[in-house]
Amino acid sequence: MLRIAAVGDVHVGADSVGHLRSGFAGLADEADVLLLAGDLTKRGELAEGDVLAGELRGLPVPVVAVLGNHDHESDQQRVLTQRLLDVGVRVLEGSATVLEIGGVRLGIAGGKGFAGGFVGACATAFGEREMKVFANASMLTAAAMESALSSLDTDVRVLLTHYAPIRGTLHGESPELYPLLGSYLFAELADRSGADLVVHGHAHDGTEKGATPRGIPVRNVAQPVLRRPYAVYGVDPDKHPSREARDRRADAPVG
Amino acid sequence: MSAEPDPFLAEHIHEALGRDERVNAPELHVTVEHGFVHVDGVVATEDRKRAIADVIAEGWRELMLDDRTTVADFPPDGRMEVV
Repeated sequence: MLRIAAVGDVHVGADSVGHLRSGFAGLADEADVLLLAGDLTKRGELAEGDVLAGELRGLPVPVVAVLGNHDHESDQQRVLTQRLLDVGVRVLEGSATVLEIGGVRLGIAGGKGFAGGFVGACATAFGEREMKVFANASMLTAAAMESALSSLDTDVRVLLTHYAPIRGTLHGESPELYPLLGSYLFAELADRSGADLVVHGHAHDGTEKGATPRGIPVRNVAQPVLRRPYAVYGVDPDKHPSREARDRRADAPVG
Repeated sequence: MSAEPDPFLAEHIHEALGRDERVNAPELHVTVEHGFVHVDGVVATEDRKRAIADVIAEGWRELMLDDRTTVADFPPDGRMEVV
């Protein structure tokens, strides 16, 4: 059983030295990998990045992260990313990474994602330039994440985002906010490409558990939702839907 | 006779709590009624919780703060969910 720890929206700042680290004290015994679902800092300042790097340096399990909207506030996301890379954190943005854990190959694809809405209440790339930029941002990030997810030929596949892929994990938020909290495009790409688990953050007042239309488990790991330092999800690599889906595709007649 | 309440006041305060560098928490919920501003949600640190009061006092001295926020200091529970 692969044990995947995950948390998002920890909002580290200069005023929170040691907070995150103390919550991770049990990681070595409870998990094989830690996923961070964005909004890792309060406002994306480099000083916050230094604190964050200190909290994550030398953790006993591999750490894979995406950034969130808070991490973009100071427009220093590239340097912030480098701070994380410097302490061994793998940072995804329309990209993927593979870890080998106890003989199991875990592939994680992801990126920040963006807003845009869900089926029946979506932004459309039409009209003003500003609206086109807004709607296209989700489409572009979804395309990059789909390419990354599809590239993974691993025993287990996880999609990691900050913005939400489904309405189901937003329950508790004001419905008027849903279009600003995520996009259906991320669920659609997961269903199309196959994944065992989708993990996101961003929705502080949402719900932890949901699923894509094709049944892939979706987990909102925003810490205010979890109300614990991190969640741990067990994935059995021998019976997971993405492998079955790939096997079906491999067996399907060509042409 | 009292002045009409500002129907947009809650959003102005919400905006301030999102933008103010001491708080930066646009995820907080703000409602205003009967001279009280109610603020709810989770903040990462005690400093940020205290700063909510500062922001309100600096911008809306006439309102009483009802701070319902909690600080994210959650204990581990050791659970694992098999998905």
